[in-house]
Amino acid sequence: MNNTLLSLTIAILFGIGTFMILRRDIVKMIIGLGILSHAVNLLIVSTGVFAGTKVPIIADDGGHGAAEVTGTIFNDVLSENILAPVLAAGHSVHYVDPLVQALVLTAIVISLATTAFILILAYRIYEEYGTTDISELRRLWG
Amino acid sequence: MSSFMQHLPILLIATPILMAAVTVMLRPRPQFQKVLNIAVTFALVILSVLLLLQVWNEGIQVYEVGEWGKYGVILVADLLSAGMVVLTASISFLSLVYSLDYIEKRSLSSSYFPLFNLLLAGLNGSFLTGDIFNLFVFFELLLLSSCGLVIANEHGGITKSSDKMEATFKYLVLNMLGSIVMLIAVSSLYATTGTLNMADISVKLSAMSAAGTMPWHVFAIALMFIVVFGNKAAIFPLHYWLPDVHPTAPSPISAMLSGVLIKVGVYGMLRVFFLIFRDTMYIFQPVIIYLALATIIVGAISAVAQTDVKRLLAYSSVSQIGYVFLGIGLGGIYAITASLVFLVNHAIAKSMLFLSSGGIIHHAGTRDMRKMGGMVDSSPLLALMFLVGAMSIAGLPPMGGFIAKLVLFDAGIIGKYYFEIGIALIFAVFTIFYMFRAWLLMFWGDKRDVDKYGEYSSRKASPLVMIPIIVLATAILVFGLYAEPLISLATATAGQILDPQPYIDAVLTRVVR
Repeated sequence: MNNTLLSLTIAILFGIGTFMILRRDIVKMIIGLGILSHAVNLLIVSTGVFAGTKVPIIADDGGHGAAEVTGTIFNDVLSENILAPVLAAGHSVHYVDPLVQALVLTAIVISLATTAFILILAYRIYEEYGTTDISELRRLWG
Repeated sequence: MSSFMQHLPILLIATPILMAAVTVMLRPRPQFQKVLNIAVTFALVILSVLLLLQVWNEGIQVYEVGEWGKYGVILVADLLSAGMVVLTASISFLSLVYSLDYIEKRSLSSSYFPLFNLLLAGLNGSFLTGDIFNLFVFFELLLLSSCGLVIANEHGGITKSSDKMEATFKYLVLNMLGSIVMLIAVSSLYATTGTLNMADISVKLSAMSAAGTMPWHVFAIALMFIVVFGNKAAIFPLHYWLPDVHPTAPSPISAMLSGVLIKVGVYGMLRVFFLIFRDTMYIFQPVIIYLALATIIVGAISAVAQTDVKRLLAYSSVSQIGYVFLGIGLGGIYAITASLVFLVNHAIAKSMLFLSSGGIIHHAGTRDMRKMGGMVDSSPLLALMFLVGAMSIAGLPPMGGFIAKLVLFDAGIIGKYYFEIGIALIFAVFTIFYMFRAWLLMFWGDKRDVDKYGEYSSRKASPLVMIPIIVLATAILVFGLYAEPLISLATATAGQILDPQPYIDAVLTRVVR
């Protein structure tokens, strides 16, 4: 149920973002880009979430489970359908993948920088052209 | 010395980033800033050549940043990466020398050098990284820094800053969308394979493919990567931003954009498709071939009608990048070799043409070719240099472009792609037409609009402007007359691209701490 809601949210966000970047107003386009990048961030986080997961701290759980503490990082066991660090469904111990959160942090910082730049650019375009209508920006046509 | 040589890959990325910070601090002392940056960029050229020699002699170099093995970010220098880094470093060194006299003083000392260094770091980083998310990060780095550089002002203000902003807005919005698509693709790939290391992904996907359990969405991911790299390289449906952005940028930046930046897309295609999506190539090879043909046709037809010299060169870039992709699509070691030779020759010739077009538009005071004419009297050297570049792009014999087109068409004929090569050949004739039309319009005939644009002597090309052009023209001639070393390097590189096992072994046989 939770995963369905999450997927629906991501899908709706993608829809809204796509609708917004097709607007004629520059500012609305930028808002659309922001919404799209947040939709992508949610998508990335959702790839690390598995049903019934724990926090990604490997503790000694008594020596049972796939990821028992051995002092090493997970190893790939293709025959058992383990592609480290993603464990297949059916394993007794599930962890939230910590890497995707690091990825999302990076993506958020990058989208912050690009959004800041494009907002300033939009402001300068408004100063130069006196409009925020994208169809008026056509001095380069031809 | 040996420990120094081990750290070459990270030095090529860290030095420009450090220099970006240093040049910001050196803003009050422009002269020192200039000299230091030129020296460091020259040192980067030497380092990149050392890296290429090291890779050539000792095999693929892997550098673990932070010593996390395959779970951390790694830098991998194989022949393709190292070769692209050498190309980047040399072209950016020459562009930087050129910009000293070309870019306006205030723009040069405030933001130009830091952004240029960041662009260099982004380029080197995306060529050297072995981690697909890191590739995304470096793509963003070079996107943002190139946006800042497109807006930089040149002397004389021939291009209005409102034009630059309009072009940059298009460029930035499209590339932000491209990076969103790339993030979706990377995260889906991660969710499928559980790793971001390209060699590791390759191993896991081929294991799945061998077991017959390759999920269908891998094909969708591969398609998304075509969109991403196609957007960077400006292939057919996504080419329309390029003819706005490359002409409005100042000429040294146009040279960087057309010479190196669009090659990042080609590099990504070669790396991602021949390493990760090897098992999906049978579907995508025809797609790439027909997109490449459409790119060749659209670029060449649009270039014929242009009156703005830099816009013509930009459309020519669109057309020529189609030939590179044609080689990639044909597949096979000989076609990939041809594609790489074409890539190097186009990078050199097109950056040289953009640099000399900068000299031309400063001399004439306009970018409109209809208002130029008879410039062979007032600047014979520029006329000669533009002719060399035009002949190379058009593929005429003593120049490097001839060898590139010869090898490419030969590869196509050997592979029995007669229809595709036929179309490519027809539009190669278009190339000859539009390049020579531009040359004739600008340099021959009578002087036009002299009363409006002065006597073509308002700003003669200075030595600092001419030297990079002459060096690049010499390189074009050398690659045309003595092409064997380039072709053998490209053949070895193509061999490595088509057989990624050494790359995978070099990356994965590591001790995890």
